[in-house]
Amino acid sequence: MRYVVLAVAAVLIAVRVWRRRRRSPGVRVRPRSRLRWDLGGVVGLVAEREIRERFRSRVFKVGTAVILIVVAAGVVVPALRHGHRAHERVGVVGALSGPLRTSLVSAGSAVGVQLTLVPEASVASADADLEAASIDVAIVDARRLIVDRALPAGDTSGSALVARAISGAVSLQGGLEAAGIPPSRAAALAHPPPLPVTSLQPARSNGTARITALYGLILLYVLLSQYGTWIMMGVAEEKASRVVEVLLSTLRPPQLLAGKVIGIGTLALAQAVTIVAVAFALAAAVGSDLVRGAAPGELLAILAWLVLGYSFYCWVYAAGGALADRQEHVQTLAFPLQVPILFGYITSLTALGSSNPSTFIHVLGYLPPTAPFAMSVLVADGAATWWSFALSAALTVAATAGIARLAAGVYARAVLRTGRRVRVREVLFRPPA
Amino acid sequence: MTLSLENVCRRYGDVVALDHLSLSVPSGQVVGFLGPNGAGKTTAMRAVFGLVALDAGLVTWNGAPVGPEERRRFGYMPEERGLYPGMVVREQIEYLARLHGLGGTDAARATRSWLEQVGVADRAESKVESLSLGNQQRVQLAAALVHDPEVLVLDEPMSGLDPVGIDAVGEILTKQAAAGRGVLFSSHQLDLVEHLCESVAIIDHGRLVAEGRVDDLARAGSSRLVVRVEGDADGGWARGLTGVTVSGMDGGAVRLVLDHEASSQAVLEAAMRAGRVEQFGFERRRLSEVFREAVA
Repeated sequence: MRYVVLAVAAVLIAVRVWRRRRRSPGVRVRPRSRLRWDLGGVVGLVAEREIRERFRSRVFKVGTAVILIVVAAGVVVPALRHGHRAHERVGVVGALSGPLRTSLVSAGSAVGVQLTLVPEASVASADADLEAASIDVAIVDARRLIVDRALPAGDTSGSALVARAISGAVSLQGGLEAAGIPPSRAAALAHPPPLPVTSLQPARSNGTARITALYGLILLYVLLSQYGTWIMMGVAEEKASRVVEVLLSTLRPPQLLAGKVIGIGTLALAQAVTIVAVAFALAAAVGSDLVRGAAPGELLAILAWLVLGYSFYCWVYAAGGALADRQEHVQTLAFPLQVPILFGYITSLTALGSSNPSTFIHVLGYLPPTAPFAMSVLVADGAATWWSFALSAALTVAATAGIARLAAGVYARAVLRTGRRVRVREVLFRPPA
Repeated sequence: MTLSLENVCRRYGDVVALDHLSLSVPSGQVVGFLGPNGAGKTTAMRAVFGLVALDAGLVTWNGAPVGPEERRRFGYMPEERGLYPGMVVREQIEYLARLHGLGGTDAARATRSWLEQVGVADRAESKVESLSLGNQQRVQLAAALVHDPEVLVLDEPMSGLDPVGIDAVGEILTKQAAAGRGVLFSSHQLDLVEHLCESVAIIDHGRLVAEGRVDDLARAGSSRLVVRVEGDADGGWARGLTGVTVSGMDGGAVRLVLDHEASSQAVLEAAMRAGRVEQFGFERRRLSEVFREAVA
């Protein structure tokens, strides 16, 4: 949670500094670049149109449905499969003392499996049930086990782990009782209380936190790519249909651009929150590890990086769209912009599998184009300190301010140049058309 | 109230698009903006809306430089029409009205009214891309008018329209001027401009080459006479008169161009000597002739 608070604080400080600089009499402000953030005015109207039109589009509806189906499958299917393995039935032939029954259940829990003991009338009926797979293992007179298929020595399947755990528990209990120790005392000795453990450093995040980070990385990649492309296509559409000339006869370029990125960004955030909410509701319903492993702060950190990442990339995509003359140019122009996103995503995804993030990932965590992905992994691994998170967020905010200024200039110079594709060098740092 | 371009200049590399161009659009007048292709009409109109950065000169409204706030009270129809293809007509016009400062209710009311006036009310809920080009043009005109602008700048508003559409648009522009709005519109349909406009501005290579009331321009320059004399086949009686040139024959009437040395009275007397004079009158220059002379 503190990461989110820090990110919000960094954004607020940056906005205050920017506004103060604008008010400062020593700073020359060109009238053409002046932007009133009148969200209740024209910027709000542009944003409202973007949200309404995009929300109604088939692309949004189908895209959201597909993402939700994939997320639901990703949450529910593993939980159901895990749930199936987590419950095993043990056939019991002959007598089994109360303490031994307790030992068996405890041994099952130790390997993450809930055991149900099923009485069997005879060895023959236990064999029949094993063949019919209605029980997974049978214990005969607390002396031997029967399984349907032989278990190789290195088998780490759920059934093998259960069989070994039961075998160990029964042997230990039997040995202790044979040594003259009363059954209740033997059960206590077989399962002693754990020793207290102290540590020099805080624990790294557990595996389920990494699963949350994995979902977060996929969400970041899909949404940054999707909404970046939407901005690009939206700008290119306005340019190709020439409606931009009508709009800019009453709006200034920064107002039109701001309305567009705010509108599409709001929709992106709403979609991300919906996806996360649905994922967690489903996870809670089916008892998935996702809901047990994820801390709210970690999840909000991913959403914060979604906002920061979108803020950084949206301007670049808008400038890219202004360079296109036809919508067919968009794919060509989008590819180079996808490269840093793809690089950050794949590198971070790879790092998520390693137990100790490399120096390279730490470096990527401070570079604004890759920070949304790399810093999410570092947070999940417990390798990010509060100051490293704050520094990374501040660097991204500062880079966003620079990129926004540059991209708004390119947009203003390129969006009214029609008839051919505009080269970046024609509009970078040059006066408007 | 007057919209003025004052000495505006714009150069694209070696090409001079606007060369110290000055012109005015007073309220209550329809001003025709004429010029050959590439003369700079579209650049000048875009400059009014800040879509072209000027190298020099000013665009003013009532003497004060035009800024974003003033432009919100102007109406603009660009040469290359611009509407969102996939957006519903009514919502699009309402959206543009609100960008110009109208509230939600006023925008809806004005949209209904203007879609009726331009004749596309029955397609209000259709997407723009499903309309014919002519109807899209009408929607574009509604977009320029929906916020009740104080001045209208229309680049080729009639192109692509059928004769009925042209009449309807012409009537709307005339009504706008009668209501006190200034209207500047460009067109290559010179007969139409002559019919609709009180005054015109003709530019060539970015420079103003003729400007004024259509009547004044038609009367300016050499006098023209049309004379029909009974039995005259080739206008031979007029040849040799001082300062008179025979420009042609038209259905038995001779067309004469008189320079400043010629006397119409002397021409009449010569015609009476040649035979019975059936027709004698001054001819007004057509705007197309004024245009050709100006840009020659």
